Amino acid sequence: MDIVLGIKVSDGVVIATSKAATRGISILKDTDDKTRDLSDHNLMAFTGESGDTVQFAEYIQANIQLYNMREGHELSPYAVSHFVRNTLAKSLRSRKPYQVNALLAGYDTDKKTPSLSWIDYLGTKADLPYAAHGYAAFYTLSLLDHHYRKDMTVEDGLRLLKLCNKELNTRMPIDFKGLQVKVVNKDGVKVVDGEW
Amino acid sequence: MSNPASINGGSAVAMVGKDCVAIACDLRLGNQSLGVANNFEKVFQFGHVFLGLTGLATDVITLNETFRFKTNLYKMREERDIEPETFANLVSTSLYEKRFGPYFVGPIVAGINSKTNQPFICSFDSIGCIDYSKDFAVVGTASDQLYGMCEGLYEPNLSPDDLFETISQALLNANDRDALSGWGAAVYIITKDKISKRYLKSRQD
Amino acid sequence: MSVTSAVSSDYNSGVSNVPIEHQFNPYSDNGGTVLGIAGEDFAILAGDTRHTTGYSINSRYEPKVFSVGDELLITANGFAADGDALVKRFRNQLKWYHFDHKKNLTIKSAARFIQHLLYGKRFFPYYVHTIIAGLDEEGKGAVYSFDPVGSYEREQCRAGGGAASLIMPFLDNQVNFKNQMDPDSNGTAKKELKYLKLDEVISLVRDAFSSATERHINVGDGLEILIVTKDGVRTEYYPLKKD
Repeated sequence: MDIVLGIKVSDGVVIATSKAATRGISILKDTDDKTRDLSDHNLMAFTGESGDTVQFAEYIQANIQLYNMREGHELSPYAVSHFVRNTLAKSLRSRKPYQVNALLAGYDTDKKTPSLSWIDYLGTKADLPYAAHGYAAFYTLSLLDHHYRKDMTVEDGLRLLKLCNKELNTRMPIDFKGLQVKVVNKDGVKVVDGEW
Repeated sequence: MSNPASINGGSAVAMVGKDCVAIACDLRLGNQSLGVANNFEKVFQFGHVFLGLTGLATDVITLNETFRFKTNLYKMREERDIEPETFANLVSTSLYEKRFGPYFVGPIVAGINSKTNQPFICSFDSIGCIDYSKDFAVVGTASDQLYGMCEGLYEPNLSPDDLFETISQALLNANDRDALSGWGAAVYIITKDKISKRYLKSRQD
Repeated sequence: MSVTSAVSSDYNSGVSNVPIEHQFNPYSDNGGTVLGIAGEDFAILAGDTRHTTGYSINSRYEPKVFSVGDELLITANGFAADGDALVKRFRNQLKWYHFDHKKNLTIKSAARFIQHLLYGKRFFPYYVHTIIAGLDEEGKGAVYSFDPVGSYEREQCRAGGGAASLIMPFLDNQVNFKNQMDPDSNGTAKKELKYLKLDEVISLVRDAFSSATERHINVGDGLEILIVTKDGVRTEYYPLKKD
């Protein structure tokens, strides 16, 4: 029931994740952060089996940071997304596969292009203008199909996200305790304050 | 739908014409009933050889990368591009290596041999058994529909333009009767000295 | 855990303490494929004549498309016993309809009646794909197709049975001109729909069945086409590959 949403706009990527951390019938926390900063211009949002998710995200985070330190430059969003995909694809045929779905938001500082990758636990990767995992996809993709324009700005993206948020709040059967919203652009990763 | 080869959906088809071959695929990537992407191409180029890969999308990506790696190494050792017949054997042995834990894919190979100028197509099962064909080869979730279309529309020795029309109609109409295929299509027409790639406008449901 | 094995060995007396269960499967698949197309002033209903169970061919000529009177054609493809039972019931009721009303049954009413026959066995269905063909009240060709429990629809054409998935997209393309454009419009206008002539339909049906025969093991041997026009019903037979 976790929500993970991403919208790519002309100058950046908007990522939204639900703040509720649930386990069975209980909400354990209403300030959960389902994202990890992998590097200055790469952000990963994730859902899936609890335990696997954070373990996997921080494993990826550590390896990306190690690469940055060793090589002295930042890995491109394209490379990061393939590293994540490859890790999941290898894990799929292991004794205990990671059950983690992820969205990767990035900004390529060389090409000056934003990037959004949809990756599931099988290692399926798709580069998309907007993406969602889980039930949220069923509620929001039709809205995004209708309103998305590829020349949108971050402000337009946030307005579109508000529309999605409204739909989720009316249609989702349980309270997901609002969204945490982040933007990735040329200046890096920033949290967007406000009522979500 | 616990069959791994039909989680993501997708289809591909190849045909032989007069001194030309064609290979085409749909563009859908889905998660069961949900359409996720409409830009997921399933035909890949290695020199002058083309590989259509349908089935479990993660394996489609993995195998594309594996074959890119293997054909690059081949080119360095042989100082020439791989030929279609050789590539078909490479696909076969690579898949059979995973005989007891297979990649869930349906591959097809199409190309023209650069020495003999002979058109070549073939398809495989998920563990690498080669099915050579003189006319057409089909794979994917719309394979039944594609067999029906190809048997009905195909004739030998078509010109490149006629082959394009035939393979396009075969793919389009087959995809429209399969819920897991469609969302656009890409068609390659290959002759000895020209490769053309065209995207088709198709139903979006 | 209880001992379920009834085979004796050094470690097992072979005596089972669980009751032996028997299962009866009331259905089987007798293969074959059928196809109906409506023209402007005619309709056809065609089917192959092979009858199978599993990999065995029971008969190379077992007709499954029937002319039941009142210029109505009917076929119920799938489980042959159920198909025969359905056609038999329909014929019987049609006879009573004549006694009671002294008039022909229209195809529209035949279709609604078949829905009731099928839905009457909603919880133990006739395992068949039913298609009927004939002429409507205006003399135009009509084809109605049904799912096993009676959902139905009037259509221009429909393929049913084992090779339906092979034939249906071909029909979409060649009868309803799906994915075809007007060559003069530069891809802006669809090819205009038009009724096909009888000889065009016959050659399409023959193409469809020889294609299906080529790729489907349960289709072949012979093709029987029944044609309804205002002059009555006519049957044509064409051989198909027997392999």
